[in-house]
Amino acid sequence: MLTMNNIGKIYQTEMVQTHALRDFNLQVNEGEFIAVTGPSGSGKTTFLNIAGMLEPFSTGQYLLDGVDVGKLNDNQRADLRNQKIGFIFQGFNLIPDLNLYENVEVPLRYRGIKASERKRRIEQCLEQVGLASRAKHLPQQLSGGQQQRVAIARALAGEPRFLLADEPTGNLDSLMARQVMELLEQINRDGATIVMVTHDAELARRAPRNIQVVDGKLADFTLYQGAPTANAHVLEGV
Amino acid sequence: MLEIKPIFKALMRSKVGAVLLLLQIAITTAIVSNAAFIIYDRVTYLAQDTGYDEENVFSFAILTFGKDRDLMQQTELDETFIRNLPGVIDAAAMSAVPLSGSGSATGFTLKPQPEISKRARAAYIQGDEHVLNTLGLTLLEGRNFTSDEVVVTESAREVPNVVVVTKTFIDELFPEGNGLGQTIYMGDLPAKVIGIVESVSGPWLKDSRPKNIVFIPLMKAMKAQNFVVRTESGAREEIMKNIESELLQQYPDRVIDWLTAFDKSKDEYNAGDILMMRMLIVLIAVLVGVTALGIFGLTLFNISKRTKQIGTRRALGARKSAIIRYFLIENSMISLVGLVIGCFAAHTLGQLLMQHYEIPVLPIGYIIGTALSVFVMSWLAVIGPAKRAADISPSIATRSI
Repeated sequence: MLTMNNIGKIYQTEMVQTHALRDFNLQVNEGEFIAVTGPSGSGKTTFLNIAGMLEPFSTGQYLLDGVDVGKLNDNQRADLRNQKIGFIFQGFNLIPDLNLYENVEVPLRYRGIKASERKRRIEQCLEQVGLASRAKHLPQQLSGGQQQRVAIARALAGEPRFLLADEPTGNLDSLMARQVMELLEQINRDGATIVMVTHDAELARRAPRNIQVVDGKLADFTLYQGAPTANAHVLEGV
Repeated sequence: MLEIKPIFKALMRSKVGAVLLLLQIAITTAIVSNAAFIIYDRVTYLAQDTGYDEENVFSFAILTFGKDRDLMQQTELDETFIRNLPGVIDAAAMSAVPLSGSGSATGFTLKPQPEISKRARAAYIQGDEHVLNTLGLTLLEGRNFTSDEVVVTESAREVPNVVVVTKTFIDELFPEGNGLGQTIYMGDLPAKVIGIVESVSGPWLKDSRPKNIVFIPLMKAMKAQNFVVRTESGAREEIMKNIESELLQQYPDRVIDWLTAFDKSKDEYNAGDILMMRMLIVLIAVLVGVTALGIFGLTLFNISKRTKQIGTRRALGARKSAIIRYFLIENSMISLVGLVIGCFAAHTLGQLLMQHYEIPVLPIGYIIGTALSVFVMSWLAVIGPAKRAADISPSIATRSI
């Protein structure tokens, strides 16, 4: 599904060269639910941005569903992003001037899906997150948890094979966080591959597989059924 | 993929900036289309050919206060004296000076008044047989006056029975072009058209019939007498410099005044128009500039306000072209509404200007042309900021800003 080979990311300023990621190797298989943890500044978000093709990498190779991302131009990356990836952001990133229906519609419009099909998918996804009755509401009329559910509906509407979640519960209280997490688990059970960046260790433990990013490098802890294993192995340099 | 509906709804939810811009576009369209038409009207007017060799003709007035001379005799002496000056082609005393803004006009008819007949208004210039040559006019048909036909009189009823007219004037009375030899009436006084000259401007360039002139072979003794002089090429300046002293040497009890070259006379007459035209050009430039800056600024403001939103759209699969298109469509929607309002406002303003000032009706082509130009200008103003928006990295979506 997702393969990163020796990915490196260097941020260059006039004075300083910062290695945000170095020799980053990762294989994500179809249907996995992975939690990415790590301290602030470790490179979690950079990893997420590169995985989501939101920014280019400096070295290495990244294959998404067999497509060599490094060889794509900006338009091709945008199209691939639209077709394969659903994003869930920490700050929800809903468009305040659009109601829920229109927000969920945004990625579908970019894909050029016709109106009747858009309508079907939007209603289905809003139903799935329990907000079908509030389709005409504006985002600011909803609670944080509800907004994040709309963002999840938006991510699901394009029927992506791969969901990238950036601190999806970071702005939510514990109750709402739990609801959102349960929703993500349900989506994973329905077949979607999920990579979730979080700093919440408890949340991470609920994911079957944990990876940790430290100083731009990757450590992989494989977990089963929510229980951490003792023999976590470090993939650094693999 | 056009996003007209969501863009429209988004605009309706935050419409203050859009409404202000829309009004600015409407006002710009209304004012610029009228101002552009006024400028065109004035340029056409200022560029009109008066028909005179303006650079070699000048005029002046003699105001006589001495009482020891016969005024008519003195006028004839002066004419002869001036005609004999080196460099002078011809000179004549005239009742009105072309391009000066001062003269007389009346209605000429096909039948003696009070009979009702076709009527055409014309300025009239009285003088002797040298008038046509002094003004450098070409006879198209017929002939000039002879000296015998020139009436020298003090009586208002004693008038010549022949006239020379401009082609524009006689064609108005006789559209079939058979004016030569016809009799026209000034009140109940008849005069036969013996010559038709090319159309030249009369005393008033802004007249509704600026080239309707009737030349009447009539000389009257006047205390204030206008003279027009045509010189050889390049001789005018020297002659103008010396004419006052030379005439005063002939007879000192008088004042020479309003010594003016024909081209300067025209410029002075048109000075107000030229100033107005320059001010209108500045007004158009300022208005268009301010509107363009307004669109530029509002788009930049919208982009900075929506940086995260643009990044999110890019993350969700928007190509750069889709972001540019978004801002172009948004701007087009605002502009089009502004332009429609502006077109109606332009028409209304044009009507008001026509009613209150001497401005012809604003042609619809000017309104449409201005609207199209403002639309193109709005696109040019928005394309830069829109490109900048498209360059916003999608990774901004994951930053906490």
